[in-house]
Order: sequence, then C-alpha cells, then structure tokens
Amino acid sequence: MSDAEISGLTDSGSGLDVTRRYFLGRGAGVGLGAMALNLLNGETSGRQTFAAPGRLGGTPFAPRAKRIIFLTQSGGPSQIELYDDKPGLIAMAGKELPESVRNGQRLTAMTAGKAQLVMPSHSQFRRHGESGATVSNWLPHTGAIADDLCFVKSMTTDQINHAPAMTRFLTGHHLTGRPSIGSWFSYGLGSSNRDLPDFLVLLSKMKRGSDQPLYDHYWGSGFLPSVYQGVKLRSAKDPVLYLRDPDGLPRHLRRNMLDGLSDLNQLRFEQTGDPEIETRIQQYEMAYRMQASVPELTDVSDETESTFELYGPDSRRPGSYAANCILARRLAERGVRFIQLFHPDWDHHSRLRSWCTARCRDTDQASAALVQDLKQRGLLEDTLVIWGGEFGRGVAGQGKWDSPEGGRDHHPRCYTIWMAGGGIKPGTTYGATDDFSYNVAENPVHVRDLHATVMHLMGINHEQFSYRFQGLDFRLTGVEESKVVHDILA
Amino acid sequence: MKFHSLCLCLVVFVFATHSRTVPARDIDFNRDVRPIISDNCFACHGFDKGTRKGELRLDQREAATEDRGGYAVIVPGKPEESALLERVTSTDPDLVMPPADSHKKPLDRKSVEVLTEWIRQGAPWGQHWSFVKPERASVPIDGPHPIDFFVQQRLAESQLELANQAATHTLIRRLSFDLTGLPPEPNLVQSFPKSQTSQDWNRLIDQLLASPHFGERMAMWWLDGARYSDTDGFQADSTRTNWPWRDWVVDSFNQNKPFDEFTIEQFAGDLLPGATSEQILATCFHRNHMNNGEGGRDKEESRVDYVLDRVNTTGTVFLGLTLGCTQCHDHKFDPISQNDYYSLTAYFNSIDETGAAGGAAKPYLKYKSPYAQRAVDEASALVKVTEAELASVQKLAEAEFVPWLDEQIRRTKDGFQPWTTIVPTRLATTEGYQLRREPDGIIASAPADFSQDDFVITVAATELDRISGLRLEVFPHASHTDGKYSFSETGEFILTNVKLLVRKNGSSQIREVSLASAVADVEGVGTDSSYKTVRDTLDDDPRKGWTTRTKPSDVTHTAVFALEEPLVLASGEELDIVLMQRSLAPRELMGRFRLSATDQRGAAVRSLSPMPLEQLVKLQAATEDSQLDTSKIDSELRKKLLGQFLEDHAVWQAAKLRNDLAKSQLGSAKKALGDQNVAVLGERKEQRRTHVLERGVWNKHGEEVQRSVLPAVLKMPAAEVSSRIELGHWVVSRENPLTARVISNQVWQLFFGAGLVRTPADFGLQGESPTHPELLDWLAVEFMESGWDLKHLVRTIVTSQTYRQDSAVSEELLELDPENRLLARGARFRLPSWMIRDAALKSSGLLNEATGGPPVFPYQPPGVWRDQFMGRFVYQPSIGPAQYRRTLYAFWRRTSAPTFLFDSAMRRTCEVVPRRTNTPLHALTLLNDTTSLEAARTLADAAIAAAPDDLARRVEFLFWRVLSRKPAPNETDRVLLGQYNAAKAYYDKHSEDAAAFTTVGQLGSPDQKMASDVAATMLLANLLLNLDEGMTHE
Repeated sequence: MSDAEISGLTDSGSGLDVTRRYFLGRGAGVGLGAMALNLLNGETSGRQTFAAPGRLGGTPFAPRAKRIIFLTQSGGPSQIELYDDKPGLIAMAGKELPESVRNGQRLTAMTAGKAQLVMPSHSQFRRHGESGATVSNWLPHTGAIADDLCFVKSMTTDQINHAPAMTRFLTGHHLTGRPSIGSWFSYGLGSSNRDLPDFLVLLSKMKRGSDQPLYDHYWGSGFLPSVYQGVKLRSAKDPVLYLRDPDGLPRHLRRNMLDGLSDLNQLRFEQTGDPEIETRIQQYEMAYRMQASVPELTDVSDETESTFELYGPDSRRPGSYAANCILARRLAERGVRFIQLFHPDWDHHSRLRSWCTARCRDTDQASAALVQDLKQRGLLEDTLVIWGGEFGRGVAGQGKWDSPEGGRDHHPRCYTIWMAGGGIKPGTTYGATDDFSYNVAENPVHVRDLHATVMHLMGINHEQFSYRFQGLDFRLTGVEESKVVHDILA
Repeated sequence: MKFHSLCLCLVVFVFATHSRTVPARDIDFNRDVRPIISDNCFACHGFDKGTRKGELRLDQREAATEDRGGYAVIVPGKPEESALLERVTSTDPDLVMPPADSHKKPLDRKSVEVLTEWIRQGAPWGQHWSFVKPERASVPIDGPHPIDFFVQQRLAESQLELANQAATHTLIRRLSFDLTGLPPEPNLVQSFPKSQTSQDWNRLIDQLLASPHFGERMAMWWLDGARYSDTDGFQADSTRTNWPWRDWVVDSFNQNKPFDEFTIEQFAGDLLPGATSEQILATCFHRNHMNNGEGGRDKEESRVDYVLDRVNTTGTVFLGLTLGCTQCHDHKFDPISQNDYYSLTAYFNSIDETGAAGGAAKPYLKYKSPYAQRAVDEASALVKVTEAELASVQKLAEAEFVPWLDEQIRRTKDGFQPWTTIVPTRLATTEGYQLRREPDGIIASAPADFSQDDFVITVAATELDRISGLRLEVFPHASHTDGKYSFSETGEFILTNVKLLVRKNGSSQIREVSLASAVADVEGVGTDSSYKTVRDTLDDDPRKGWTTRTKPSDVTHTAVFALEEPLVLASGEELDIVLMQRSLAPRELMGRFRLSATDQRGAAVRSLSPMPLEQLVKLQAATEDSQLDTSKIDSELRKKLLGQFLEDHAVWQAAKLRNDLAKSQLGSAKKALGDQNVAVLGERKEQRRTHVLERGVWNKHGEEVQRSVLPAVLKMPAAEVSSRIELGHWVVSRENPLTARVISNQVWQLFFGAGLVRTPADFGLQGESPTHPELLDWLAVEFMESGWDLKHLVRTIVTSQTYRQDSAVSEELLELDPENRLLARGARFRLPSWMIRDAALKSSGLLNEATGGPPVFPYQPPGVWRDQFMGRFVYQPSIGPAQYRRTLYAFWRRTSAPTFLFDSAMRRTCEVVPRRTNTPLHALTLLNDTTSLEAARTLADAAIAAAPDDLARRVEFLFWRVLSRKPAPNETDRVLLGQYNAAKAYYDKHSEDAAAFTTVGQLGSPDQKMASDVAATMLLANLLLNLDEGMTHE
C-alpha cells in the first residue's frame, strides 16, 4: 500500500472514506465493515478471527467474547432497592446523612439545598445461590441465576445528569460527538454476518412519555464514518426504516429492477472508472438481502412455546423489553457483533414501590431468561451480557423519606451493574460501597474501566485502539488512566 | 548522553523513487518536518507547559537546538550529533522516542529519512504556514486562469496534465448542483449552444449565481457550520423559532453581502450603531447551540457551556482551529494557551442570558418574518380546497345518511342494547388474587394479602361484530370494608393501568390494542394525590390512576374506554382485558366489577351520556306510530345520529382528517405571522468577570482574564479589541492569516468534495498542509481583495479549467492519486442527501420553489418520534404544497434528525467536514422513501402525457428529466425496455397491485385503465432516481 493511501486513511473522516471505498471498489469487500485490510497496523495480523474483519484485521490477542448484548437500563436504576443491601440503614432512617459521608457530593438542582435524610431500602434482600449474592425480592428471576452473574457493586461515574451521564457511559465522554461503544466495535472488528448490520439497537416500546428520551447519539458513530452507527431495529411494519418495498411492488419485480439498476450502473462504471459505483452496486445488493434477512430475524414464529414461557408473558408482545431479549438472542445466533437494548424510565424520583417495581417486572424475567437461554444454547461462553445504567441513586429520600411516595435523586458515586458470559467470572460480586451505599469502599470501577474491560474481553487493547480526528488520536477510554478489571475475568 | 551512530548507517535516500506524488525536492519544514515532530513529540515536548517532560520543548528552534550540557537534541547540519535521531531510532525500550507508554509507533523509515535530511540541510525552521499572512504568488499575465496555473504547475511535477473538459450536459449539471443545489431544466441543456464560447458559460454561471436558489444552496453549508436546528436538543428538546435567521442567511448569500460584513453582523450586529432588526437577527448565529433544560441541571453550568460552544464554533468555522482542545489545558500542538482561550470566551461571557432553555432562553429579538405571509396564503388556499372537498363529501354522505337512519329506526324498533355484558372464558391474576363469576356478569374477588395485582379477563367472542369501547362498572358491597369497593383498610380502589391484548390460537405472539380515551362518572383523589383521573390508566405509569375516593361510596361507579380502532376478533382470537391495580395503597383492588362492550364509535364511547341510538330508541318508544317519522327527530339528535353515522364513513373521515390537518397547518402558519422570538446576542449592563476554568470545569475558577484575541493568530493591543464588534473585525481583518483561507477552503470543498486543505476544521499543526498552498493563498487574497465578494470567489473557482475537467478516471491515475489530491480530473462524489431529495422533487416537477418561512415537515415513516420520545412528540408530515419545499426548510429536531437524510451533519456542534459513506441503509431510503416514490409517480404521469404511445420517447423524457441527457441505445434497448415490459406484463394481470403501487404520498390511484402503464413507468422512474449517475456530482 502506498504512503498516500495511508495518509489518507489516518487523517480526517473524508480521507478515510475515499480509501475505504477505493478498496471496497476493488472487490475486497462484501459489504458493511468488510475492510479486510489491516490498515491500522499496516500489516496483516496472523490471527484473523472473523469472517469479515474490520480495521483491526483481527484482534491483538484472543478474544473471550465475540459479541456483546448490552441491556441498557436508562434513567439510573436504584442500587439500594435492587442489589446493594444495606441493613444498617434502618437504624439510620430519617437521620441526616453525615457530612463525612456526603463529603461535598454535588446534588442535582432538584434536591440541592434540601435536607438529606436517610431512606432505607423499600425492598427486601436475601442471598442467592452458592455465590450468596444479594439481590432484592423485586428481581426474583435475576436472583435465581445469581451464580451465572458477576455483580460489580463499585461502579462509579462523574456525571450527575442523565444525558451527560448516559453519553459518558456509552461513548466515554460526557459531551456529544464521540463514537458509541458499539460503533467502536463495528469499526474495529467488522462484521461476521454479511446480511445484517454489525450494530443493532432495540428500544422498548412504552406508552409513558419518558422523561429521558433516547437520543440517537447514544448509538451514533460520532466522528467515525456513519456506516458504523447503530441501526435501530423497530417494532413496526418496517423493523429497519425504509426496509419494506412499497405496497404493490412484488419481490420479483424489485429483483428485476435492481438487476436493471446494476446493469446501468455497471455501464457508468465502465465510462467513469469510479470504484464508488461498484461499491454502490454492492450496497444495493446488501439492501436487497437485508429485505429478507431482517424480516426472517424478527419473525419469531419459529420459536417454541417454552421459549416464550422462559422469557415471560410480556415476551409475546412485540416491542416489549422481553420480546427484544428474544430478538437479542436471535441476533447473537446470527453473529451480530453488538446488540444494544434500551429500557427507559428508571428515573425513580418518587414512589419506588409502584414505579421501580413496574420496571423490574418489565425486565427481570426476560434479562434472566436471556442469560439462561444463551447458556443452554452454548452461546454464553462467547457472548458478553451487560446489564446497567448511567448512574445510581442516592441514599437520601427525595420527597418524604418515611412515605411510600418517597423516591431517590441521581447518584454518580456508586452503583451496581452485572455482567455475564464472554470471559466473565460467574458467581462473583466485585467491589463494595460504604454503609450508606454512597461511596465506593473498595475496588472502584470507573465507567472508563468498564470500557477497558469490555474491550479486553473482545480482544482489543483499549490503549492501542484509536482513531485520528482533528489531529488527535481518540480512544473510547479517553486520556485519563483506565484499567482492565482482571479480577472479574474468568 | 552517549552517542550511537549506528542508526545512520541504515539511512538511505529514496525520495525520488518512492512515489510519483511526492517528487524529490528540498525539505520544507512546514510540509515535511513539522507534521512528524508535531504528531510524535509535541504531546510532551510542545507548547503545553503543563505536560512538558524533561524541560524540553521541540516546537521552537531555539529550545530544540540549545546546548543541554554537552549535547543538543538538534545540531543543525550534523545529523550524526543530533540526539533526536538517536532517540527515535533507538531499539532500547528505555530510550526510544516516542516512548512505549505514549502508544505511538516508532517512527517509520521515511520519517527518519526526512528528519535526517532536514538536519543535514541545517534544520531550517519556519512559522507554521497557516499563521503566516497569505501572500498572492505572481501568476503570468495573459497566462491561464490563475487556478489552472497553480494546478498545472503541480501536475507538471508529476508529469500529468489537466483532463479534458467534461461533457456539456455534465458540466451544466455540475454547475447547477454546485450553485443552486438543483438539477438544470432539460431545456436549458437542450438549448445550450453546441460549440460554446466562454461567454456562454459565463452567462450560465451569472444566471445561476443570480438565482434565489443560490442562497439556499449556500445556506445549507452555513447552517451545518452554525449547528442550526429548530429545537433545543437534550431532554426537553423544546421547539425554538430561530428560522428567521435561516432566511437571513439565505438573503445574505443572495444579496452577496460581503463576507466581512456577514461575519461582523453575526458576531455583533446588536452592537452596531443604529442596528437594524436584521443586524440583530444575524447574531442568532451565536445562539444556535443546544440548550439543556434537563430537570436537575444547574443553569450556570449550561450558560458556561454555551459560552464555550461559541468560542469553539468560531474556532472551527472561521479560524480552522481546534480551540476546544484548549478548554482544559494549553493546546498540545498549536501555540494557544488556556489563558488565550478563556480570554476569547470573555467576549461571549456577558451576554444577557441565564442558561435557561425552552421559552426562557433570552435574550430574544421579537421579529416579524417577511416570509410568513406567503406560508399563510398557501395554507389558507389549501384550507379552501380541503373545505370544499369535505363539503362535497359531506353532501354525499348526508344523502347516504337518510337510508341509514331508516335502517336504524327499523333495527332498533324492538330496542337497542348499548352495552353487551362480557362473558369471560377465563379469569386470572398475576400475583394470586382469586376471581370468580357471580350472576349478572359480575366478577368478584376474594380478600387476599397481596398489595398489588393485575386482573386478567379473557374474552373469546362477543355477540358484537366488533368492539369499539369497553365499560367498567365498580360495585359497592356489604362484604367490603365499610360497604365500599374493596377489602383494603380504606375500602377504596385504585385502577392504575388498563391494557388490551389480543392472542391468536396457535400463535405465540400477542398484539396490543390501543385505547384512545377514558372517561368516568366521577374522579376522586387518593391519599397519594397523584391518583385521580381515569385518563391516567392509559399509560404505562403506575404512579397515576383512577380512584373514586372522596366521592360517594355507596353507588356504582362507571368508566368507559374507547378503542383507537374498532377491534374485530377473528376466529381463534381471544382478548385479554388487563386491569392493573399497582398503586402504592396496599390491597386497594376492586372487590366487584363488571365489563361490557359496545360496537358504537365516537361520541358513544367518549362520554357517559346516552348513545345517539339510545336516544333514538327512547324517542321511538314515546311515539305511537308503527314507525317513527324521521321528521320528529329534532335537529340536535339528528346531528348526533349523523355524527354516529359518519364515524364509520371512511371517505368522510379521510376528508375530515385532511381538512383538520390543513386547518392546523394554517394555525401554525398564522403563528409564524406574528412576532417570533429569535434568540440573539445582547450585552448585559454589567460585564461578568471571566476566569480560566481549571480543567475546563464550569465552576472551578482560576486566574481572571480580560478580553483579548489570539496572539498566535494576529496580535492586537487589548484596547483595540475590547468589544464583540472589534472581535468580529479581528476575525475578518486583512491581517488575519486564517479566516480567508479557511472560508475559501470550505467553498472549494463544496465544489470539489474535498478542500485544498483536507482537514477543513484544523489548520493547526496537526492539520494537513494544503495540497496547493500557493493556490489556497491566491484564493484567500483574491477573496479579501475583492471586498470579501463570495459570488466572485465562487465565479473564480467555477470558471477555471480545473473545475471543468471530466471526472472520469483511468486505472493508472486512480492508482496514483486515489483521492484526487493533484486535481488531474474533475471531482466525482455522491451529492449530499438533501440535494438528492431536492433533485427528485425538482426533476419530477413536484418542487415548491417558494423561499423562506416557518419550517415544514417532509414525509417520515410513522412512529419515529413517538418511539424515541414515548409519545411526547408526534411527527405530522405537511400536506398540500408545503410537503414539496426544499430540504433547507425541513424541521430539524436535534435529538432525532430527519430520517430521509443520511450522512448529514448532526447539527449539535458545528461541522465543516462532509460525511460521505455508502451503505445499504442509504439504498433502502432512496428506493422506498415516500418522496422518492411520489417523485417517481409524478415523473411517470408526466412521461406518459409527453409520450403516450412511444415507449422509447418516454424513456428519453425520463432521462432528460432525471439525468439531463439522452439515453444511449444500449441503455434503452438492453435494459429499460425490458424493464418496462416485465413490469407492464405483471401489472396487467395484477390491477390491485398496480393501484397500490401508484397510490403514494398525496396522489390518488390513476384511472384503472391506465394503472398498469403508470405502474410500469413509475418503476422505471424509481430505477432512474436510484442510478449512481443521478445522485452523483460528476
């Protein structure tokens, strides 16, 4: 490869595209992410793990996970109600949170200046399985598979409002403009399925006007070319926007029309020599294949009754979180690299007993079923499942601490997520918080460390995987130090 | 430090052979050396004193060559004594530079060669090119066009020359797209002289530059940079009314407002002496940033964000500098300190703003748009049409109403049963309450200890043909607490949610049926006062719901739920009615209740009053005649009955909906007629103090700073640049080395797909050097000396032979110069997606060429906003001619960009680098988007009208419209005729498909006799609209 091409690659997005198209046009590619050239390293790695490797052309070391299912719980699920059992809070109920614990923590404008009175958990806890993990009675199904999970109780972030915190959680930076995690993987690892995009996003369909919209930059490609952005799989007539041919246009006529289109485009290619045209022909062909592969994916009529029983009654309702969990497993089976579910409305500033329990019922059985289902199908060992949100909730009651109407404000300093499969040590609990579930007491895991760990599991060294933009080498984990949490790896 | 000379043995000079694109010449510091040391060394040995290591800086010659106690990092003329070379070639991991922990790769051989040769040549330094004021290089008088002179000079070094001029139609298309964003009219191409003179071209160029579409095209460029949007972004994403500014931009480009004035007005129009409304309006440029109205957000934090955004935008758009890097620390590469950065923020720090969002984001200019009246006129004209349509449909419907009424009178003679009691096939609960059937269809629950539960009542079939509404009756009973409604402590009940689910025998999936409304006889207040209204049972929120607490507790309470669409249960289908009682009040669950259904729609299920047919029955019972005389029905009841009839009249409903939409569109247009609140700049009385923000954190105040401009760019005494006006003047000062270059480069990029500087947002040390430095400088100087005449700049570029080249490429040239950096061919790149949409509208004849006014809503698939915002925003496509406006006028929701666009700027922060990818999703959009299909249908109608019987001529017509040329015989004969015939044969046999395919957008189906012809021609047009040639700048 000549130097001119390399310099074109490593500079701005536009230069990159030219090179990419150039190679695709040379017939190297078979579609999305199909850049079988090791352009980043300037040489071809010996280990080509994937059918259609991306920029990294294989990973520097053996990946433990080939794909990720990210169960994003948007709004900040309360670790105090769900995972982080603090029986000592009962004795502290209604008392002011000691300043030594609060230690200058910023509050949102909603509770700033108000007394911070301790509100014990509204739920009950017990230990589950051989691992003895504590999980609340609001999540009975999650408790039942605790031995398959790794709970990280010492997650921490530095953002206190939803959009910046979720942007931080999913792109590594609190301001918009960076690629989302899925885009990084799509860019780095490419596709292993030539008929589906590498990065698919599923939103739970809910009727409630949520207070936290799911911005499309949560799955956007930031400064990476937009080909790497997540594709939303909708629960609608068109699971992918514009997928369906118009009414009255039968499939064979579309096929015929695309053949004609390809013939004329080919003529144009002969006249202009522009390899971009050949790429376009291929993209139209992939579009045609997607018109078959996506409906085949979303049509769950071939699933057995026992599957629906496993995932729970809501799984029969298309667009529900539970139905999306079944789709996630189907996507995993088809080799899709990054599958991201979003369940909104975890922002429980009040009435945890009715509100938080409702979101638990939406998600508990299906999340647990997904892990079990992957396990019984032999997929769990190379699929990493992550459950978690952008931050946790504070120990102080918002509203009335001694009423069922009480809720909790945002809390960035500590929260709980869980992971399973894909190289994660099952049946573990990592990290701990203080007696108030307010500060991390041991083994803090910053969002950056989570990113580093996830990259590690996918076979990527987060420090070496970067993209040149505006003269700087950007990484998912940013410029601050971040570490792989080796203690939770199998 | 001991010196090893080993590494130098490896150095071989191979400049002359490694590539034809970089021929041998003297090492140029800026071009060849600075990129290497900047990229590899400056992060630790650069301008940022905070991260500087080993007290060494390599961004200045003095420091790099100083004696460091017996050695120097660079010894000019003596590579073998320069420690730099030793370190970058060292194999010792402790010595090698850049070090391993920087995650940078060792320098490649070529870079080492460059450094070695540079030091051998004496290590000449130079100021970074973009910080040196551009000078006009001399060009030969009577020589070629200056652009061609520079380009040819560069080409000659590579033994290349300019390509031939592009075909006439191609060039006309290129000019038309570049200058107006639209394809040319076919007759413009057809009538263009065959053997053209440059006057012919000049005339065309002048004509295009004078078109009002020129301003629209240029505005699209400017709006991306200005991060213009119609909403705030973030959580609330409130709508704003800054669109008059968008029209100001269009007008400014059309009036060819000198770019310096254009700039100054946007920076400080409010401060100009005797400022006009338009000059104040201009400052909206600096208010187009996102506004964060999230609940817990500190307003001051937001305000600080906006101030920084303005500086960063100024940096990217005007100066080509990545100033954002300097927010937290000194710039790593460019000579800009954190102090410099915050001094610049001081100009924007005293705006009279609070950081609030939504409607509170003052300062506002109250502005009446001159473009609003046209929108109102258009909307009123449409209402007239839809009203007339509705009236004529109404007339027909009323005629049909007469026999319907007779039929109802006959049918209800023996009575009418408004509600049919539901007979459940199954009763179930989630948590464990036991339900049982009682007489009269009543369902009763037994006391139990669960706080919450869902009651699921399953129905297999009813006597009704369809279900349009449900009624729930809740009964008091002696067995309940205090004889009220439940066994809870209070005896009250709270219904939190109602859901309808349909399951089909043998299918594993269920579908949810939507409810449209809920009404109740009374609504009380719970102990938790958020429990009140029955309407709140329709969402997924268990915190709200229906209670009758505080109301009489010894009567039956009733609620009625209307379905969005009537439900017809197919055989084998069952309906689950789920009554969720998940309140905070323990065990407040209904003790006795009954469910009934009806088939009546509309008012019948939107209120609890007697249904119209019930009233008719009552009247009938009172009459003594064997059959009620319709004349005895009073006008009020008659109106209600007509309303009931029209509920099921699909044609009337469609006409009504269209009329409602037209009226609502008119309402919005009228709102645009009044004063619009446009966010603008306005200075506070008292200036805020400005501080360096430590690590960029909004409330971590460091050293206080005063307003001053970037010394590295253009030094000026603080007293001379103390106001925003003066800042504006500084940006467009003739002495400013950056602005003219940066803007010329962006304009060049519009027409060539890539700039002369390939990093348009970064002219700093990490950016690329220009491919043609002398050309860029010549353009920049020409631009300034012409009085910042943008049209002149554009004309200069598009009159060059360089611009006019054929874009075809040989394999050899592609190999040599894949990115067309040398410009040995014309630029061939896919048009921006907005231009593809506009082109489809234009070539089909659908385009509404009106300019300005409030935003419009092009087709978007249903549900996109609803899904993303859980129903808070609903997208309603415009109807009538408003649907066919240019994309520039499309409403832009910041958190959900228009779906019919792809690769567009995100409009969150400013963007000047075009995105250009090629994916199957783009293909699907262009194949199946409604605009694209409606354009195809319109083209088909026009083609058939132009050539009813001659297929070849019809194809020719379509080619001229879509591609501005005649088809070649092999295109028509080998491909298109066969395409048409295949489709025609199919549609001849499948007339329903023909009707379905051709009924699109606002177009009804064609005459049935014509349908297969229209459908087949439409498919041809759909094919042409998807051709690479049609969507490409050739």
